[in-house]
Amino acid sequence: MLARVANNLFWMGRYIERSEHMARYLNVNYFSSLDAPNQLSQSRQFVLRSMLFMVGDIEEDEVVELKEEKVLHKIALDHESTFSIINNVKYARENANSARDLISTELYEAINKFYHFILNYPVDTFVKRGLYDFTVNVTEMTAILRGKIRGTLLHDEVYAIIMMGMNIERANQIIRIINAKYNDALKAQGSYGDKFSHSFEWSTLLKCAESYDMMRRFYKKTPTSITTLEFLILNPNCPRSIMNSLNQVYSHIKVLDPSKKYNKNSTAFLVGRVRSEYEYKYIEEIEGNIKNFIDTLLKELTQISKKMEKEFFNY
Amino acid sequence: MYQEYSIQYSAKNHYDTLVNDAYWQFLIIPEDNESQQLVSWEFSNSLHDVNQTSINGFGFKTIRVHPGQKFNDISFQASFTVIKKETNPFDFSLPHHNKADYDKLEELNFQVDFEPFLRRTSLTRLPNTYIDMYTFDENKTIFENIQNLNGWVSEYLSFKPGVTDVDTPLEEIIEKRNGVCQDFTHLFCAVVKENKVPARYVSGYLHQGHGYFGDSQMHAWAEVYVPDIGWVGFDPTNNLLANTNHIKVCHGKDYKDCSPLIGVVYAHGANTTSHTVKVLSEQQQ
Amino acid sequence: MENLGNQIFSSYQRNPDLFDEIFDKDGSVKDVYKTLFDLYGGHSIQDYVRLNEKAKSSFFNQGITFQVYGEKEAKEKIFPFDLFPRIIDTNEWDIIEQGSIQRSRALNLFLWDIYHDKKILKQGIVPLELISSSDNYLHQMIGVNPPGGIYNHISGIDVIKHTDGDYYVLEDNIRCPSGVSYVICNRTALKRALFGVFNHYQTHTVTNYAENLLDLLETTKPKGVDIPNTVVITPGMYNSAFYEHSYLAKTMGVELVEGRDLFVENDFVYMKTIQGPERVDVIYRRIDDQFIDPLEFRPDSALGVPGLFAAYKKGNVTLANAPGTGVADDKAVYTYMPEIIKYYLDEKPIIKNVHTYHCSRPDELKYVLEHIPELVIKPVDEAGGYGISIGNRLSKDEIEKVKKQISEAPRKYVAQPIMSLSVHPTYIDQNESFEQRHIDLRTFTVLGKDREFVLKGGLTRVALKKGNLIVNSSQGGGSKDTWVLKE
Repeated sequence: MLARVANNLFWMGRYIERSEHMARYLNVNYFSSLDAPNQLSQSRQFVLRSMLFMVGDIEEDEVVELKEEKVLHKIALDHESTFSIINNVKYARENANSARDLISTELYEAINKFYHFILNYPVDTFVKRGLYDFTVNVTEMTAILRGKIRGTLLHDEVYAIIMMGMNIERANQIIRIINAKYNDALKAQGSYGDKFSHSFEWSTLLKCAESYDMMRRFYKKTPTSITTLEFLILNPNCPRSIMNSLNQVYSHIKVLDPSKKYNKNSTAFLVGRVRSEYEYKYIEEIEGNIKNFIDTLLKELTQISKKMEKEFFNY
Repeated sequence: MYQEYSIQYSAKNHYDTLVNDAYWQFLIIPEDNESQQLVSWEFSNSLHDVNQTSINGFGFKTIRVHPGQKFNDISFQASFTVIKKETNPFDFSLPHHNKADYDKLEELNFQVDFEPFLRRTSLTRLPNTYIDMYTFDENKTIFENIQNLNGWVSEYLSFKPGVTDVDTPLEEIIEKRNGVCQDFTHLFCAVVKENKVPARYVSGYLHQGHGYFGDSQMHAWAEVYVPDIGWVGFDPTNNLLANTNHIKVCHGKDYKDCSPLIGVVYAHGANTTSHTVKVLSEQQQ
Repeated sequence: MENLGNQIFSSYQRNPDLFDEIFDKDGSVKDVYKTLFDLYGGHSIQDYVRLNEKAKSSFFNQGITFQVYGEKEAKEKIFPFDLFPRIIDTNEWDIIEQGSIQRSRALNLFLWDIYHDKKILKQGIVPLELISSSDNYLHQMIGVNPPGGIYNHISGIDVIKHTDGDYYVLEDNIRCPSGVSYVICNRTALKRALFGVFNHYQTHTVTNYAENLLDLLETTKPKGVDIPNTVVITPGMYNSAFYEHSYLAKTMGVELVEGRDLFVENDFVYMKTIQGPERVDVIYRRIDDQFIDPLEFRPDSALGVPGLFAAYKKGNVTLANAPGTGVADDKAVYTYMPEIIKYYLDEKPIIKNVHTYHCSRPDELKYVLEHIPELVIKPVDEAGGYGISIGNRLSKDEIEKVKKQISEAPRKYVAQPIMSLSVHPTYIDQNESFEQRHIDLRTFTVLGKDREFVLKGGLTRVALKKGNLIVNSSQGGGSKDTWVLKE
């Protein structure tokens, strides 16, 4: 496979994944805030700031009054904002275009439909009353793409590269979400016991990662800071966890680099190293310094991505 | 009699931003032919990348460089040793059957065979207003006419570096009457072709020991196909027939076929380039 | 066959001056179309509108579109597709197929000759000016032997049916003829919408194009290569034909590359893959000559591969079509096609050429001067439709003026009879009805080392504007599925 096209596939995977997380974050935060138990969590300003924080467009000015329609537009449908969902989908499609001869017609058609759905979504409807419809459609369409990727592509290098892109991006997005909600939880604390640990925001966090039901099934308890973080970071069986994403990246990179030889400069080595670092960790080791954990992991993921570029996507 | 020349070519490129990828092709190796022999040559670049050689579309040997690393500066050094036969440029018997030679120019076979060098290119097409600026006198031989033209061009234009470049249209050169060796050669070729005689542009080195015009760059002159004689070299810049001091690299329809250096460089921002050529006559026997 | 009860064609109006491909002069349906006519007649116009909309959205969703650049975002448009197919029976198709092969082979021999011995020029059969005035004649190709001896691997020959019921060639496209992907998409779309109609006709498949193309390209592999590595090179995803490039790469099962994916080392071509460099032997290029190699042609080309031409000249890689092939699809060369076919093959053209009168020949000049109202007068050296006079649109004074011009410089003019394209019932969206529209046909011929292939079908292009004779997609043309019937 061409190195350039491999790069396109990798980024196609990343953009698809990114769109999904952004849409769900908007959806979950907005709607769970409507009847949140404490006042701050219910505050519209609080929610809008959280959204901007998550996409990396942090509003530093604490006094400024954010306009809901503007913020929603900026994150979802604004052509001018580089991080918007519409641009993510556009980039996903452009990358798919370049690799069009390698992916299935079915997958391409699904991406194309997705793009046209978003392109034609009326901005006015969206900012006034379309948030639910729009975000649910985005998450459903990404689920369809996931299905097409799994079901209509040969599970070879092409598949492995797309999956690497998706999983690296997932790990990235989950950390960003954790970061944003951790930040929220510090502000909107619970009403009993260890207030931080019992913040309402932990449930929201799990929902943002579509992991609330799974988590309840596993722990059979109301989420706390420690159980939530343990589940989302370290539990390899949770399909949204960092651990699970790293495991997947590792298994897919082995398709590209089946070498069993010791090579400390390979991407596979680095992925394995990062993965094994978290495999046998206690959550208490992380919870103590969550900020530090987030920074380190983001750095490590960037390193993996860069190394991958050098090793496989160099053209 | 033989004369040995040593030629030093160097080029320096600087780029303000890092160059990601680049290709260069040099068309600077002296040709091996009847009147000259390439004894030895060397080429190196400052990044110590492997130099490849190849043959271009017109059959001349090129050197290619494709650096395997990113860089801001690169320089190239080449040296050639050439032995030239000391020949008398007039060493042929001048034809007497003048009419037959002019008739030859009208023959279809001749026109088909020499099509590439009869073709007007964008650099060697006389503008309509100057189409008759120099016409041949059919009472004289073709050779004489061309010799006269050689003198006429060298008078018509003044040698003046820095006022024209490789893209200056012929019309502007004719109007401003200034130029360098390329411009002399293009004008010369244009007139020759207009008179139905095949002409080609020659790129090479000039040994400047005799106060000839040129600069510390590559030189240009022309070769004309004179029926009954063959290809004859004329240097309209110096009103000379090409001789021992002219070391040929290649020929083509015009400058574009003979660019000594083509670079395809993937970089943003400004760059500066400089070339120098030195031709030394080392010994005489 | 009466039109009564056939709702779909009830408002169809026939202009008796035009050659209608499905109705005879007396209004009866031609035999080969009878079944189809009845089948379509079974639909109501509402059914048809719905099918038409579905077909459109199918093209759109598959991304079979071209870009129209507007102020802000590029708009995507589909290439309009008509659901009423064109049928070509076996006998007519034989002429087209044999004729296309004949022309492609003759052009190949012509190209070999003008880049080697130039006999046809030296014997004065084709004037030297045709070559010497062409920018597409590449001196770098003189004396080069293309692998397998093939220059025009792929030819797109544009054919029309004139009012006399005969086929004529209008143009030979041998640079990078495009449109073949639409042939296949049209078939797929028609099958999806109206699969029932295929049960009544034995139609040749068109989906075998890619496999034949790959097989034939690989017969012209470079010497010493056992199993060639073939790629398609595209200018990139913003090129209007990008869909076709990716379609061909995908169906041939080969890589679709851009110039930046390839590099040349020691006169061999390699592509940059995730496992390192991999040698490339055969390149189906969809980039024009002037852009393939910045070291040899336009130095500002960012689409090409530095050093590619030298690798080609050395015989280390096949380029399809060969560089310099474009010289033979100039309009002026077209007028000499009967002479070219005669010279190399000693045959008469199987598909007619539109007859060209060269005013430089005295007897032809006489004919032209006497028949101006029936002719199109074209200057030989003007491109892009400049200076063309259409005889039947000229006033008396203008005719005299044209005559004078020609008489003064007969060498400068050629003349051709005024050709009319046949018409075919075509569904027109705005009017929700079928109307006569002009059509042509582009055939696709592939030459290999010892075998050739003509796609049994081709692209029927429709001029959607009433009365318009220009079928190009850039001018608002559409297309139809084209059925070549088995015996």
